[in-house]
Amino acid sequence: MLLSVTLTLLEGLAVTLELFGLTLLFALPLGLVISFGSMSRCAPLRWVVKTIVWVVRGTPLMLQIMVVFFGPGLLFGLPLPQRFTAAVVTFVINYSCYFSEIYRGGIQGVPVGQQEAGLVLGMTKSQVFFKVTLLQIIKRIVPPMGNEFITLVKDTALVRVISVYEITWMGETYIRKGMIWPLFYIAVFYLAVNGILTLLLGWLEKKMDYFK
Amino acid sequence: MAILDVQHMEKHFGATRVLEDISFQMEQGEALAIIGSSGSGKTTLLRCLNFLETPDQGKIIVNGETLYDAGDPATQRESEVRKKRLHFGLVFQSFNLFPQYTALENVTLAPRLLAKERPDFKARKKEILEEIRSQGRSMLERMGLGDREGHYPHQLSGGQQQRVAIARALAMKPDILCFDEPTSALDPELTGEVLKVIRELAEQKTTMIIVTHEMAFAREVADQVIFMDQGVIAEQGPAHQVMDHPKEERTRRFLARYAEGMGEA
Repeated sequence: MLLSVTLTLLEGLAVTLELFGLTLLFALPLGLVISFGSMSRCAPLRWVVKTIVWVVRGTPLMLQIMVVFFGPGLLFGLPLPQRFTAAVVTFVINYSCYFSEIYRGGIQGVPVGQQEAGLVLGMTKSQVFFKVTLLQIIKRIVPPMGNEFITLVKDTALVRVISVYEITWMGETYIRKGMIWPLFYIAVFYLAVNGILTLLLGWLEKKMDYFK
Repeated sequence: MAILDVQHMEKHFGATRVLEDISFQMEQGEALAIIGSSGSGKTTLLRCLNFLETPDQGKIIVNGETLYDAGDPATQRESEVRKKRLHFGLVFQSFNLFPQYTALENVTLAPRLLAKERPDFKARKKEILEEIRSQGRSMLERMGLGDREGHYPHQLSGGQQQRVAIARALAMKPDILCFDEPTSALDPELTGEVLKVIRELAEQKTTMIIVTHEMAFAREVADQVIFMDQGVIAEQGPAHQVMDHPKEERTRRFLARYAEGMGEA
């Protein structure tokens, strides 16, 4: 029994991790683009970007998943999208907005004097960015990013609303069979993933502990 | 020929006129002190010289070469600004050391990046980098920090950080080294060590512009003094004349205020 439950849950875990990985892969760079938009000197662009971020961060992720999945069909009569694709798209949009705010905080948190000191020493703008400010930005964003990563791992459970068979959905099927322990077993998997993430992020933070 | 010739410089921030008709000259090896109350435009003037601000009017001429002319767009190309900046060095009030680099790395970073543009860099890479390193070391030693080269900024006191910042500026061998209130962010007991190295630089005939609130120091170190008030040069001349026998009422009042608050000055 344990073995068959384990295998079923592992199957679900693969979907969970795939969603997690793809979200990071696309949302990390997209978030940077959005953060540039929200810091743009062009006021209309800034306004549009900030409005989008407000809407995305201000509404439930579960609602967004449903809108992305059912919206195209109900609004335009299009066929239902692939469930998993819809999930990835929603997560990327949602998380890139959160990431953008973290990037913005990291970028704006580096004192402008750092950039000026580099420029005055005859560095180009790109040298200043890569040699002076980048590492300081990374140091600032690692802790809040870590929080988001861990939240993301758990948020993947929300895709059950459109029946993507991730690990929590897989475990739920056992309730109908009158079994409760697989639910606790699921928790162990989440804890293991987040445990590894916590260790990795802690290691990264420690690597940058040598400067303030 | 004057090493620096600033002609009719003006700078506005929106409707506020921050600098108005600023003109002065400096000779090689001279130390010029700029004094005046906060908001009189001293810092903006230094920032204009270092191309951190763009003057709305006027010219900046170094060694006969017109680096900036508000009336001539050819002198304002972004691509050339970088090279022009190298005529000037700037030491900030808040040090602005790079926190992720050691004292020595702070000093050698910009020279290393610049050396990459040398045509012989690839062929003599090792030699050139070693040279930069040893120059950086001797720069730190000159600042009395020979034993601190491996320290990160947060491991250094404010006075030590500012001395690293001076070494960092000197490493680029600027024609004119600018100081923007170099001791204003320091605890009183740490200002002495920074003033000492600036004094030594003056004795070695380093061409310097020092924006300062340390009146006694300005009188002692500077050859020339400029007193600024509300964006204009209210008085300029030899240090002893401006500070001991000011001609202008404004200068007199300013100096008297400092004399009252001796603790601060």
